[in-house]
Amino acid sequence: MTLLLALLVAAAEPPGTQLFADANAAFLSGDLSRATAAYEALISEGVTSPALETNLGAAWLRQGKRGLAALHFERALFLDPGDEDARANLLEVRRGNVDRLEGEPEDGGAETLARLLAPLPAHASGIALVILWAAAWALLGVRALRGGSRWVSLATAGCFAGAALAALVSWGAAAGRRIAMHRGVVVAQSVPAREGPAEKSVSRFEVHEGTTVQVDDEDSGFRRVKLANGLTGWVPAPSVELVVPPGWAGRPVLTGSARAERP
Amino acid sequence: MRGSEVIPRRTGNALCALLLVALPALAAGEAMLSASTDVRELPLDDTLVLRITAKFASRDESGELDIPVFADFDVVSRARSEQMSFSFGGGASSMARTVITELTLTPKRAGDLTIEPVKLEYRGKKIQTEPIAIHVLPAGQAAPGGGGPDARADAADPFADVHPGQRDLLLRAAVDDDHPFVGQQVTYSLFLLARTNVSSIEKLVSPRLDGFWSVDVEAPQQLVPEQRILDGVPYTSYLLRRRALFPLRAGRATIDPAEVQVLTGFGMLFSRGTSRRSSQPLQIEVQPLPPGKPPGFDAGNVGQWTLTATADPAAVGVGQPITFRLVASGRGNVRDLRLPKLPEIPGVRAYDATTSDKESIERGRVNGTRTIEQLLVPERTGALEIPALSMDVFDPVLKQYRTLKTERIPLRVTPAEGAQAAAASVSQNLLSAGGVRPIRLRLSTVDRAAPPWTQPWFWPLLGIPPFGVAVGLGFAGLRRLLQIDPGEKRVKLARGAAAKRLKGARALLQRGEALAFYAEVARAVTGYLLDKQGIAAAGLTREELAAALRARGHGEETVRRLVRVLDDCDRARFAPGSGEAPAREAMLGRADQVLNELDRGRA
Repeated sequence: MTLLLALLVAAAEPPGTQLFADANAAFLSGDLSRATAAYEALISEGVTSPALETNLGAAWLRQGKRGLAALHFERALFLDPGDEDARANLLEVRRGNVDRLEGEPEDGGAETLARLLAPLPAHASGIALVILWAAAWALLGVRALRGGSRWVSLATAGCFAGAALAALVSWGAAAGRRIAMHRGVVVAQSVPAREGPAEKSVSRFEVHEGTTVQVDDEDSGFRRVKLANGLTGWVPAPSVELVVPPGWAGRPVLTGSARAERP
Repeated sequence: MRGSEVIPRRTGNALCALLLVALPALAAGEAMLSASTDVRELPLDDTLVLRITAKFASRDESGELDIPVFADFDVVSRARSEQMSFSFGGGASSMARTVITELTLTPKRAGDLTIEPVKLEYRGKKIQTEPIAIHVLPAGQAAPGGGGPDARADAADPFADVHPGQRDLLLRAAVDDDHPFVGQQVTYSLFLLARTNVSSIEKLVSPRLDGFWSVDVEAPQQLVPEQRILDGVPYTSYLLRRRALFPLRAGRATIDPAEVQVLTGFGMLFSRGTSRRSSQPLQIEVQPLPPGKPPGFDAGNVGQWTLTATADPAAVGVGQPITFRLVASGRGNVRDLRLPKLPEIPGVRAYDATTSDKESIERGRVNGTRTIEQLLVPERTGALEIPALSMDVFDPVLKQYRTLKTERIPLRVTPAEGAQAAAASVSQNLLSAGGVRPIRLRLSTVDRAAPPWTQPWFWPLLGIPPFGVAVGLGFAGLRRLLQIDPGEKRVKLARGAAAKRLKGARALLQRGEALAFYAEVARAVTGYLLDKQGIAAAGLTREELAAALRARGHGEETVRRLVRVLDDCDRARFAPGSGEAPAREAMLGRADQVLNELDRGRA
């Protein structure tokens, strides 16, 4: 009986738990390179976990790789917008960022709103939207064809109001996701932002590791990035990593730890 | 090089003169010969003066001077003068005669040339001078340390047009250039020429210098004599004052006479006297700057200037200061100089600039340096650049406008060290918020399923309810539209139904069922009246039926025929055998005709 329970518990554990435990042990013993390699191996196996991304970010931060640390904290927040550890660690990384942005945010606060709405239950709100929407229209149809009592009218209005609320929550989650799909983090220590996708283009400014950007376009091995205050430039693609984890939204899954070799 | 090595021409001449004075008394029958030049280095298109001095102990005799044919020089002009001097020594007097020959020579080629020795034969003795080496530069190249128009003007002899006559004391004012440009330096000199001994200057009143900005170049505290020979008479000249004048506006300017009060005579033993002298007024024609000024040219930028820009250090951390220096130095009036301003540099905060001036006098010329210092603080990292600055000046020597430009200065701004260490933990036990949180030990996975709104079924599913309601409402409406009133249907179908009944009656007729035939004809007519005309004939008398039909607008003849058809049918039904076959056929025709008439009368 005990053996059966143990087997059930083991079966309920997520895949890669043992490797995750080994990586954590390496982290706690100070063997950061081994811990990083183990975390990266888990990601390459397709494990998607906010805790894994948070721990990997912490490992990179301990090694002084602020850009990669910020990237993985951002990924943890992408996977779980309510992850407090990832949010706190990301704030800590940003506190030491070289780049300081001046000027008002260009998106008029849309990103802030999306960030506020993102932790709301996206899946539940989507399903609720479908159900309430269908119910509201069904009641409306019954009332229009056969007439109805006052309670039917009240139920119809209530369903429509509930559907509107669910739609708002879903919009927030969708907006946050859309922004997150274009979010990137500078992982190179320092990189010049140029006027065009070529090394010969004039450099207008420099960005440094850990700075969050929006990736608007990609061409000729360069990515067009926009800072929150509207500053825009082209940087080499390897210097900016997308926050969307590999395997999401059509991104290929990483099969190696190429990121570990980046500056 | 002008003068004897580094000594200017005028001073060199003075030294030569002093050398002659200092020559020891010649023994009887002796002669001395010397040769000197005013320069040792000159450009090919310039001239030098070779001065040959021969001194004889005899008043009447003079030797034979042999001036060689110069291989490397052409003789431009030749001048000769003589001086007589007496000296007392050992209770006897002696006389000497000095013959000075000045040759103006121009070199034939550039390079290291030699002036051949000059020979003198006197009372059977031959003496000669040493060869003189001259370095000739290519044409148009000024000799270092002088040369060029300025030096030429500087070397202009202020006493060239002085003819003192019998006057023993003369105050002479001179300028080196009486046609300067606005802002160009003019050197004003005040000399005292004396044939008598001058003990001291008791009072000197300088003229007012309206229309000029001036600065002292030389103001000797002691009288320094310089020997001059004017119209063959030896004079001692004393420089009393030298000022640099910078004309402020174009046009004719007058410098009033200066006045001096001089104490003459020797010490206590000789008679002393006081003399007052005035200089001549001077006229200066100040020229405006020539046309062709560059746009934005500042009239104070006149002179021979250079412009340099530096930034120190060129590589700093962000937020660290950089000192930018813009230095204009050269010859001219630095106080009127207007330097370019540093434009705004993106990413760099510039603080107010400070300006400092420094003036100096070199070889009688006012030199100056204006330095603008500005503190720059880069606010972002990366490669920045201080742009090139330019300044237009008018060079009065070249008589043309020039544009001075500085080089662009690249700056390298690196991240501040403080930012790198911002996340480092502090040494004190400050329990402030922040810091990296500990790692998590439990691996929680998330569902990778895409949100519902990204699924292909989501939006069609949302569209189904309103579509369903719309379809339902549409069907209901359509149904209402397609519904037909039975009364109207009966009206429309009344004639057809009557015709159908008449057809049935014909079938009964063919089968020989006479009673049924007439009954069917009567039903066809009454049915038509009910459906089409809305008249229930069964409950009406013939008169009432006729009246109802007439009320509906039917003609009297039609009504009469209808009534007859109905009456004939009733009669045949209730009186069997009365109807023959031809009459039955006619009945069908009559019934059909009257129905047609009714149908036409009331559609």
